[in-house]
Amino acid sequence: MAQVVMKDLNKKYDEVHAVKDVNLHVRDKEFIVLVGPSGCGKSTTLRMVAGLEEITAGEIAIGDRVVNDLPPKDRDIAMVFQNYALYPHMTVYDNMAFGLKMRKFPKAEILKRVQDAAEILGIQELLKRKPRQLSGGQRQRVAVGRAIVRHPQVFLFDEPLSNLDAKLRVQMRVELKRLHDRLETTAIYVTHDQVEAMTLGDRVVVMKDGWVQQVGEPLELYGRPSNRFVAGFIGSPAMNFVDVGISEANGAVWIETQGLRLKAAADRTDRLRPYKGQKVTLGIRPEDIRLASGSDTPDRTFESVVEVVEPLGSEILLDMKIASAQMVARVEPTVRVKVHEPIKMAINTDRLHFFDLKSEAAI
Amino acid sequence: MAPALVLVLGVLAYPVGWEVWVSLTDFSTRLDGPPSFVGLANYLALGREPEFWHALTVTVAYFVLTTGLKLAIGTAMAVALAGPFRGRALVFLAVFLPWAYPGSVTVIAWFWMLNPPLLTSYAVAMGGVKHAFDGLFGTGAWAFLSVALFNVWRGASFTAVFLLAGLNALPTELFDYARLETRNAWQRFLAVTLPLLRPYLALAVFLSFTTAFADLANVWMLTGGRIVFPVLGTQAYWLGIRNGQFAEAAARSLSLVPLLVLALVVLFRWFDPPRERAA
Repeated sequence: MAQVVMKDLNKKYDEVHAVKDVNLHVRDKEFIVLVGPSGCGKSTTLRMVAGLEEITAGEIAIGDRVVNDLPPKDRDIAMVFQNYALYPHMTVYDNMAFGLKMRKFPKAEILKRVQDAAEILGIQELLKRKPRQLSGGQRQRVAVGRAIVRHPQVFLFDEPLSNLDAKLRVQMRVELKRLHDRLETTAIYVTHDQVEAMTLGDRVVVMKDGWVQQVGEPLELYGRPSNRFVAGFIGSPAMNFVDVGISEANGAVWIETQGLRLKAAADRTDRLRPYKGQKVTLGIRPEDIRLASGSDTPDRTFESVVEVVEPLGSEILLDMKIASAQMVARVEPTVRVKVHEPIKMAINTDRLHFFDLKSEAAI
Repeated sequence: MAPALVLVLGVLAYPVGWEVWVSLTDFSTRLDGPPSFVGLANYLALGREPEFWHALTVTVAYFVLTTGLKLAIGTAMAVALAGPFRGRALVFLAVFLPWAYPGSVTVIAWFWMLNPPLLTSYAVAMGGVKHAFDGLFGTGAWAFLSVALFNVWRGASFTAVFLLAGLNALPTELFDYARLETRNAWQRFLAVTLPLLRPYLALAVFLSFTTAFADLANVWMLTGGRIVFPVLGTQAYWLGIRNGQFAEAAARSLSLVPLLVLALVVLFRWFDPPRERAA
């Protein structure tokens, strides 16, 4: 059991500065997820923790040891790879026992640990098979089992579910979460899938271009994104963005663009006032747009035309145009709308997000 | 007929069948009239001939020595070339050159190196080495070593490039995982790299096997066609093409078939199906 502390962590290749000043404190027993688009530095960060990449500058400590100069085998970590990295010439048992054998564990101990892990993962029957005789899900289980038998201080996962089909991915996701509850081992998990990040992480680290954008609990990231990137990255369908002007009239702050004039909620006026006469980016979550009813005042509604209807069963997504922007609304499955006909929509103005046009930071 | 069948019959079955038939006759350009069937007489004669057994022994020794060296050197070069480093392209080129360059040209360099035709102090020294070597291991030992060295020099580079392609085809994660779990590079090499390369090594052994047993060119170029030391391939060639004793030559070269089949069976078991690599 251990915490992992990264201090001013940097990784530079010849041309690319892949990881920039990452400071992160992974708490003991925490399940932390690094998420971001490809090339954001998340995998490189993980590989530096593992010892597979050299650290250009900064420091990584696992437990109370700085591991910068420790070879991977001495870092007390176990890693699960995207393509499972199972040895084709070994049986499942030998694959799971590999790390222990290399470390010269007694045979009886290896047997016990492998059997225990196999039982946890429900793969006892597969121990004599070769990897090629296994399905993708089974291989993934073996790869996880191989990490479990090591009883490491920290688990490192590098996109372990990316090669599974959608259904299996959801299932394995739940299993991983259950496993973590049971083993209570610190885990660092890398994925590009924000749903995986939100469902698995005690905390989530959003990265982009080598920089950490925001660290927080899943709902914190969703509800209070620190910048436009995080706001757009977390949540599916993504947050709608439209550039708007800010003005003040009748003691209220107004948000305006062509075809849209909304009154800012009272708790936002102070923060928006400095932007009077300027443009900012308005962010609206799809679930904060709904069909207008009679009680909706004009300062929170707008006219639009639905272009595409996506009935998902549990909800319906409406693709509509407002001013020059494309917007998606998430509405109740009972709502019936006709495409290409004018429709009046209402916006939940208490839950709007605003971002500085230049710095993209949340206002 | 299916194209594959035509290919097999035309390229394989017909010439082999003809050779088998010839080996059972007394076919020779020295005889008048049509060849007559003699059964296994050619093979029995072969078995009684000490020269044949000598040649077979030399051939096997040649195979074991050259293959062992080629694999060892080739694997070392492949592993060394697998990682990125400055000037890798140049080194790669240098490694590949011995194989890519025409043997008929490079052999001259070897000839001059091992058996200099000019009278220089180097030539005298090399002559001394040659005599000492032959005196120690028997006449022809120096020639044997020369041909073996030349074969290794040319073949090791091919083996290296071949194994390097194999290494590069393997997922890097397999080696990443090994780096996390093993104590040192040597352990990693033995426990992971070597077993993963097994199919490629098997193929390399087989290629080396065929060159060793059918290697006429290297022997011929270095020895100028003289049978300084007998290898079955050169013996058969000499008998068949130079002397016209086709039947004896056929029997001699066919005597290698059981060995080849055995090698194939062993190697293909070792090779194991590529299916195994699907994970």
